[in-house]
Amino acid sequence: MYTQFLGNYLLQRGIITQEQLFAAMSRLSKTRLKLGTIAITEGLMTANEVDECLFVQTREDKRFGEIAVERGYLTEEQVSSLINKQTPDFILLGQTLVEDGAFTNEDLERIIFDYKNESELYDISLDIENQDAIASIIENYFKVTETKPHKLNIMYLELMFNSLIRFVGEDFTPLTPMVLDEYPITFGVSQSLKTKYEHITHIDTDRETAIAFASRYANEEFTEFNEYVIAALEDFLNLLNGLFVVNCSNQYSKSVELAPPVVTEEGILKGENLCIDFPIIYSFGIVHILFSY
Amino acid sequence: MDLTNKKILVCDDSVLARKQLMDAVKEIGDNATFIEGKNGKESVALYEEHKPDLVFMDIVMPEMDGTEALKAIREKDPDAVIIIVSSVGTQDQLKKAIQLGAKDFIQKPFENNQIREIIELRLGGN
Repeated sequence: MYTQFLGNYLLQRGIITQEQLFAAMSRLSKTRLKLGTIAITEGLMTANEVDECLFVQTREDKRFGEIAVERGYLTEEQVSSLINKQTPDFILLGQTLVEDGAFTNEDLERIIFDYKNESELYDISLDIENQDAIASIIENYFKVTETKPHKLNIMYLELMFNSLIRFVGEDFTPLTPMVLDEYPITFGVSQSLKTKYEHITHIDTDRETAIAFASRYANEEFTEFNEYVIAALEDFLNLLNGLFVVNCSNQYSKSVELAPPVVTEEGILKGENLCIDFPIIYSFGIVHILFSY
Repeated sequence: MDLTNKKILVCDDSVLARKQLMDAVKEIGDNATFIEGKNGKESVALYEEHKPDLVFMDIVMPEMDGTEALKAIREKDPDAVIIIVSSVGTQDQLKKAIQLGAKDFIQKPFENNQIREIIELRLGGN
């Protein structure tokens, strides 16, 4: 869960470039997590020990676990427990970046340690049920806006990331959110949510990215920018906001009024209080999801 | 399943949502006649004109929303078979729709199986 945030963490600290992240993300689904990487993240082996076993593996026709046991780094029980271990996806992203030469296994060991500490992910077997950890990741992500996130903001962002994962694909990384005075719209769709105040949610993107986004969302191959592409963006926003309305009602008995989505091809988006841009980078382009109120 | 002579009114402001619903019905049966409405107001007029056997109705739509359209259609035809298909599935919305006479409520994104059940139940048999 939330491989996406390790990508953001690495970009923010300048450890990797956007291009390196793109390349790694597009290969994620074809990559399998290796035993050595899991052993590092579990703290059972050091990066040096893993590198040593990998080196031996290039010369001897043996499995990684076998070599690690022979050299006394792991017991057989540890090997079988590692094989069956459920590990979070972000470790796979780390491994892919090591394979691409973006950094070494030794760097990965330190990065994972720092990332877990800063994100307060003490339990490596983080999964979707771990609400506290997810809330903590999102709060950290929101911190750069220097505004204290309201519980509804956290809920909205969680729904947004889950909807992107579920309906568009998990190969994205949220870039650093930006607080703006105003946002010049290039093309997009907006939808208003009314509680006590009016909140505008908006998806903005270039046409090529919109076609790719819509194709994934609708599970169809769109080749040109047409009414179906626009409708897919509207439907995605409507679905996300619909989930938010349902959650507000179920969890807080709060009633939220949802207006129909509208297409906005130009103009300026600004909120009386705040306008935040959450740029999401996919391998096919950048999608900006904005809130203003 | 043969849906010849069956008329289905699909009301949604999203052209994609209408297409996905019609595609789901076409997977279940052949030869249904589809009528498309882009907002509540248009849908009420189309209902009167075509007297469809089944209506799929979104809630959040411009001009007139799905709940108002449901009410207007049921007032004119208490036997109208209207299924709400919406992303806004709060308990309140559900209750209101059922009180106004909706026969079922499907939360978006729908699974084709949910549409199959509706079609078989409402249009199957004869």
